[in-house]
Amino acid sequence: MRKFVMAAAGLAGLSALAGCAQVQEPAPICSMAGIAAQRQLVALPAAAPGEPSPLMEMPLNSVSITDFNVINKLYVRSVGAQRTATGTVKVYSQIINCTDYPLNIEGRTQFYDPGQAPSEPVSGWKRLNLAPRTSNTYSETSIGTKTVQYYMVEVRETR
Amino acid sequence: MRRLMIVASSALALSACQTVQNSAGTPTTYQDPATLGAVKGVGIESQDIVSMTDQMMRDMLTEPRLANAATAPNVIIDAEYFVNESSSRINRNSITDRLRVSLQRASQGRMNFVGRHYANMVQSERNLKRQGVVDKATTGTAAAQKGGDYRLGGRITSQDARDPRTGMMSRYTQIIFEMADLESGDIVWSGIYEFSKAAADDVIYR
Repeated sequence: MRKFVMAAAGLAGLSALAGCAQVQEPAPICSMAGIAAQRQLVALPAAAPGEPSPLMEMPLNSVSITDFNVINKLYVRSVGAQRTATGTVKVYSQIINCTDYPLNIEGRTQFYDPGQAPSEPVSGWKRLNLAPRTSNTYSETSIGTKTVQYYMVEVRETR
Repeated sequence: MRRLMIVASSALALSACQTVQNSAGTPTTYQDPATLGAVKGVGIESQDIVSMTDQMMRDMLTEPRLANAATAPNVIIDAEYFVNESSSRINRNSITDRLRVSLQRASQGRMNFVGRHYANMVQSERNLKRQGVVDKATTGTAAAQKGGDYRLGGRITSQDARDPRTGMMSRYTQIIFEMADLESGDIVWSGIYEFSKAAADDVIYR
């Protein structure tokens, strides 16, 4: 009889635990290990054969999170660009706040010409407010038209 | 006599403390005007001016009536119709001057800029040329000064709040920019820049 009672108590405990598992974590749920694995830096050519590259950086046409404070708090869901009616280039990027806290970030964009040289001055910092576990869209437009081929977005915590 | 000796020796000891602090003062440091500086409050600051003018300039270049017209339009950008109704003390010219200069440098012929704020200066020189006081110079004469197709207007407004228990203050600032057609009154482009700041420090803007 005693064994039966203990078994019943164990079953009750298990069912209570199963009840706890019903509490769901709100989406989005960011896997930072997966995000880090997706980040693929590109190397600048080394100064001499056999030497290591002097610089590893994000590839062009991407978003570079430049700030230790937020690099493990944000996920760049998408980044893209399109031409506007006047021929300038509009860059947009959807950024997700993976934390349970509000974040204030800011971004700026450098546009490059077909030769990958800067085609115009870097844009000013543009602020973006992210409520907990929400996304917001950063966008910026270029000054130039035909001279713009590539871009690089930099993101940091607002200062 | 003994008291006198004690007072005298104390005075001597104190005077020994009064040495010259022979060190350099705090040097002036340059700051990035596009980033929050060492002195920060709830008003409009350099990083706001840099950021808002850059955003407005880039956005204007996406408006076909301004930046892709068959004939480049004549635009007037100054602070004449850009009013400050906010509680922030600010020189409106610091916004409109930066916007005009950056837009002119960026537009590369897509717009013409009329310096209406120089109208008196131009008229004075035109009068001197026509009176024969000075010669006609080298670029030729014009029938009249240029008129504007579009002119910048705008407004700065704010809403303040203060917690009397903590002294914490917050200010929401809204700055709108509009380009009006100077014949029809149509607003052909508009932009908005807004921010809300909170601080406890007492910062004075001049």
